[in-house]
Amino acid sequence: MANSTMKSPGSSASRAATAPLGLALVVFGAATLLAGCSGSERGGKTLGFAVVGWRTSVYETPYMDECPDGLAQGNDELWWKGVPPEERAILTKDGTIEPVTATRRAMSVLRGPKGEDVCWNPTSVKDPPLRVVEGGTSYGMNLDGSTDDQGGANSCPHVNFKSPKGEAGIDNQLYRILGCTYGWRRHGYIEDNANGERRDTSHGIVLIEVSGVDDVTHDDQVEVAFFKKAEGDSLPKDHRADILPNATYRADSTPRYGGKTRGRIVDGVLETEPLDVTLPFYGNLTHLPLVMKGMRMQLPVNKADRFIEGTVAGYQDLDNFWDYVQRYEYLLVTGQFSCPGIYVAMKELADGYPDPKTGACTALSAAFTIRTVPAFIEHDGVEPSGLVKPAVARVASTSSEVAR
Amino acid sequence: MKRKLHRRSVLRGMLGATAVGVGLPLFDCFLNENGTAFANGAPLPVRFGTWFWGLGHNPGRGVTPVSGPLEFRAECAPLESWKPYINYFSDFNAPMDGRVSAVHFTGWVAARTGTVPLRGGDIPDPTLDVLVSDAIGGDTRFRSLDLTSVGDPKDSYTLRSAGSRNAAEVSPIALYNRVFGTGFADPRAAEFKPDPKIALRQSVLSAVREQSQDFSKTVGAADRVRMDEYFSAIRQMEQQLQLSLEKPIVSESCVLPTKPAEGPVGVELETVEANHAAMTDLLTIALACNQTRVFNMLFSQSLSMVRRAGEAHTHHTLTHEEPVDAKLGYQAEVAWYNVRSMEALARFISAFGKVKEGAGTLLDNTLIFANSDTNNAKVHSVDGVPVMFIGRAGGRLKGGLHVIGGGDPISRVGLTALQVMGLKLPTWGTASLRTAKTITEVVA
Amino acid sequence: MILSRAAIRGWLGALAGAAALTALAGCAKSEPVAVGPPPAMRRLTEQQYRNTIRDVFGPGVVVVGRFDPITREGGLMAVGAASASITPSGFERFGELAESIAEQVVAPGNRDYGLPCAPTDPKAADAACARKIYSGAGRLLYRRALTDAELARLARLGDQVTSTLGDFYEGVSFGLAAMLQSPEFLFVTDATEADPQAAGKLRLTAHARAARLSFFLWDSSPDDALLAAAERGELDSREGLATQAQRLLKSPRLEEGVRAFFSDLLTLDAFDQMQKDATIYPSFGLVVAEDAREQLLRTIVDHLLVKSEDYRELFTTRRAPVSGALGMIYSMPVKDPNGWTDVEFPKDSPYRGIVTLPGFSALHSHAGRSSPTLRGRAVRELIMCQKVPDPPSNVDFSKFNHASVTKVNTARERLDIHNTEKACSSCHKITDPIGLALEHFDGAAQFRTVENDVVIDTRGELDGVKYDDAAGLGEALSKSPAVTNCVVNRALAYARGRAVGKDDNAMVSWLHEKFASDGYRLRGLLETIATSEAFYAVSPPGPARVAPGATPPAKTAALDGAATLENRS
Repeated sequence: MANSTMKSPGSSASRAATAPLGLALVVFGAATLLAGCSGSERGGKTLGFAVVGWRTSVYETPYMDECPDGLAQGNDELWWKGVPPEERAILTKDGTIEPVTATRRAMSVLRGPKGEDVCWNPTSVKDPPLRVVEGGTSYGMNLDGSTDDQGGANSCPHVNFKSPKGEAGIDNQLYRILGCTYGWRRHGYIEDNANGERRDTSHGIVLIEVSGVDDVTHDDQVEVAFFKKAEGDSLPKDHRADILPNATYRADSTPRYGGKTRGRIVDGVLETEPLDVTLPFYGNLTHLPLVMKGMRMQLPVNKADRFIEGTVAGYQDLDNFWDYVQRYEYLLVTGQFSCPGIYVAMKELADGYPDPKTGACTALSAAFTIRTVPAFIEHDGVEPSGLVKPAVARVASTSSEVAR
Repeated sequence: MKRKLHRRSVLRGMLGATAVGVGLPLFDCFLNENGTAFANGAPLPVRFGTWFWGLGHNPGRGVTPVSGPLEFRAECAPLESWKPYINYFSDFNAPMDGRVSAVHFTGWVAARTGTVPLRGGDIPDPTLDVLVSDAIGGDTRFRSLDLTSVGDPKDSYTLRSAGSRNAAEVSPIALYNRVFGTGFADPRAAEFKPDPKIALRQSVLSAVREQSQDFSKTVGAADRVRMDEYFSAIRQMEQQLQLSLEKPIVSESCVLPTKPAEGPVGVELETVEANHAAMTDLLTIALACNQTRVFNMLFSQSLSMVRRAGEAHTHHTLTHEEPVDAKLGYQAEVAWYNVRSMEALARFISAFGKVKEGAGTLLDNTLIFANSDTNNAKVHSVDGVPVMFIGRAGGRLKGGLHVIGGGDPISRVGLTALQVMGLKLPTWGTASLRTAKTITEVVA
Repeated sequence: MILSRAAIRGWLGALAGAAALTALAGCAKSEPVAVGPPPAMRRLTEQQYRNTIRDVFGPGVVVVGRFDPITREGGLMAVGAASASITPSGFERFGELAESIAEQVVAPGNRDYGLPCAPTDPKAADAACARKIYSGAGRLLYRRALTDAELARLARLGDQVTSTLGDFYEGVSFGLAAMLQSPEFLFVTDATEADPQAAGKLRLTAHARAARLSFFLWDSSPDDALLAAAERGELDSREGLATQAQRLLKSPRLEEGVRAFFSDLLTLDAFDQMQKDATIYPSFGLVVAEDAREQLLRTIVDHLLVKSEDYRELFTTRRAPVSGALGMIYSMPVKDPNGWTDVEFPKDSPYRGIVTLPGFSALHSHAGRSSPTLRGRAVRELIMCQKVPDPPSNVDFSKFNHASVTKVNTARERLDIHNTEKACSSCHKITDPIGLALEHFDGAAQFRTVENDVVIDTRGELDGVKYDDAAGLGEALSKSPAVTNCVVNRALAYARGRAVGKDDNAMVSWLHEKFASDGYRLRGLLETIATSEAFYAVSPPGPARVAPGATPPAKTAALDGAATLENRS
């Protein structure tokens, strides 16, 4: 979905300062500076955010009640079960060492009958069924509009959750699949790592632009656009490596990424209408698109905080999800997940967008927590290739800039 | 006119009655049986240094106002275990002779130069450590080692004149590289191989000196003093190179330290304390290896900008803005900072106390002149600026005494220090600070 | 005494009229009789050292080392350089720098570019090539041609090294290092000779004039063309001097000289030690600090050199370049997050003039809060050349309470307490009204309308001229004769390396009149100074400085009160 219609000549977004908590800030330069150049013909303010943290929403109880059979068996565990005693002796040097090595990791995934890599050939083995979430509570939204488990016009039958606040009809099959897998839970490190890498490399960052805002507490109609941040603009950080607010980022104009939808603000929280959109994703050395259907967002927009958390929910395309799992293969041991198990489970549990021919659902309901900072979004200065124009020296270096 | 001392001439005997600068690290075999002197009778070299902390003590909270045996009060509590090595001087004043007092300046300048400055920024005479290093610093690799814990090389209260300040090292790694980097002859190295380039560097210095001599003929009278300093600097460098050509003698306490990591510098208290401690430890090794005999350490500036992270106040702004606590009777936050300053001083002293030398420690052979810039920071008073002598100065000082000056000029303290260090000065200081009266109570 | 607006207008009008009259007269008026400072010996500043190395050996040579700081006198390091000495540790550092630079110059990658010849045999001596190298580099480093004796001395040194180490380039390297440690290089001297046109008087030698001109306009040692002009005798005439001055003024290298002048005047070296509290001001990191300094200099260069605009408008301009990092401080978008975006702030913006730029407001603040007193003092001393006395000692602070006991919300409330004390108010009323106008900018130059929930009041007055806010302060500064006089005063002092004194009053007046009649354009001021007699005038040498330890003489090497603007309040 193209976002080129968002461009206006010489425009940039301005961050609307809001007035909560008795702190009266004034937008002086930005809004008036750009009078007549706001992102919407309707006028009003434009708000910008950069998504600096993206995490699968996993609801956990202190005693793992949602995983009655325990955590999912990892690939390594499944492989080890099939290793005969003689080989075990060799691998552990007669029980004297713990053979957790890169070789073991590589070996453990090549456990197909003909030595196939089971992430790339998930049906070559028949693993025990993946341990999935069996609890009743989950974060997320009611995406298909129904509170029973029968599915709807655009969804397959599946067990709904209740939200922690008690709202019924929550659709979150992604949680169901990954919620008992160590790597995606609180003590697993997969997503901490991914967020750390995003922070360090500035890759895979989503920009959110909200325009036509007349009132940050209540507004019946605003426009919301999602962009991929252009490569070349770094996330500025403070001394603790936390991202700083109010920086400017250029929006990548590559047509593949981003999209536009409508929204409204209720009690200071922006809610957007469903949108099919491809977003950038980066984490654990893996660049991916994130293909979402019917994606909605809830984000407070009346806060003056440095970090603002919100929720994104929608259906993740199944092929896209599988792509993600496969590319994370090298985390099999430490994340303790297994590709064949997930492969089978995801096909069974997919609950969105049934294929018109086969009836099988092609997407997984999902929910993510996003962490944003206020930001300015600039639409100029990006080549069609998606690259920004080269940086110029910021500081006059007397040893090189002045001609001899 | 400085004589270039050669090892042999030193070992042949004492030169005059003053302490002799020995251009080599100590070696037990050169000590007499008691370890208190060289085998030939020459005494162990005495080191001299200054230590500075800003903003003094809260009034009445440093020491009890009784002369004689020293008794510390709350803000000096960290120094308690070192009391036998400390002499404290209070109630010595700086008569202004009509000059206006420059806040956070006049106090320490008067104490360290014996002269009240004309105005802020004026350094009318050299600080006393410069006089000592002129006398005893020419025989070691470095004339002096000057250190600052707060990150700015300009925060260094050792100057010959306003235009001639000894810029300080600001970090442990900078100090390490200077002293223990290239050019340091490791006494424990298996083989001693002087760098072949040193002789060539000496030739460079000869050429520079010749060039400078021609140049100085063209220099006006007004700049003669700076040319003299320049020649002095060349000589010091020549001495440094000469020393690195000589095989160092293994000394028990001279051990090449580990190279410190790079770290932050600045005025946040934890950073200041960490840099202070690390540089102090390197300094004591440098002294044990006889790389210098004179040192200067600044813990916090006269208007101490030391602060706690996350707070808008600094030590200095608190002295002016914090109210006196109704119950306690003093400024509590200021007191907190003052105690931390004395903890740092205790840390400094303990490093000297750890270095074995002869029958005792480095502390026995050192005189540390520790002072602040004010007696009552809240009101910028320059009377009664606290000064301490720390260390035995090679047996020449008593310890554990409190001398109350009764309003006498503070230059008496500086004069005493200079004389203890062997400088033949009948008087020191100018105008109302000119004095001939040694504080004999502390001299052994 | 508060003047009415009308009265002020009338007063300003009269002033303008008077200025116009004197301007007209100024065109006809000739330069007052030149009174020069005595000859001086100035240590190279760090930037001059770096620029010289770059000019002589190329930008590929990296200068890494620490330079002993130079203390300001008369508000300028350019003046303090005349008192700056080289301590043993300072000499040690220059020695390390010298060796490092010399090594790089002869390194295989650089030697073909930096050296004018190659030896016939790289392992052996080559007298002709060595001489060529020493004389070429030496002329530029010593700022005059080397004598035969000097060349012979270097040749001997180089040969000794070459025969010891078996390498021609090592020899050259040691020879270059010797030159780089020589006082001929490290000190810029006002060499004098008898003036053939005025019996019994002295004048600067041609080479000394070349040095003075070059350091003034380009902050670096004289280039080959300027030295050649000196050697040909062209700098003995005013016309010849003017020709060279014009060449330097027209060059893009003038920008470096202007940057150096304003860096000195505005104490931008204080950025080296400036740190903001990372918790209170997380956005103000190293990059922001660097950019704040750069922004200030770019604004000045753009306004005064590129656009050749009125100096007074520096205090009212709404234009400034904003980098990506500074965009976070301004809380505004920039077109180029990785470069600079030229911004014109809107008419109602509080950002007006260089005093509102972070390079001024954040520099003159504490680590964790703003400081009206520091900012006010900086305006008085740096921009208006008005000395603010040091705080007195023995003041009773008991009325002055920390926020935790007597709650004060804003800086104004806190400082108002100072003003109840007569000993304090006499100086604080000079500084605080200025700084309080800038209180919308916190310690990190970020805009705010309240402090502790109390609306910030920025009204005040500057020497009788009232204003409501920072923009109004800027207007008041732009109309203050002290401001324009100050830059003239400083420019002359900077050019000659000596603080302006009573003897220079006529010269300063004359310069100021010309400056005014020329629309307060900096180029014109620089040109007038660089082509004046006073710029090159020299008086008889001063008396010998008394050695330290004796009674101080009447004139000691005195510094300004507070050699750096220290955090006083």
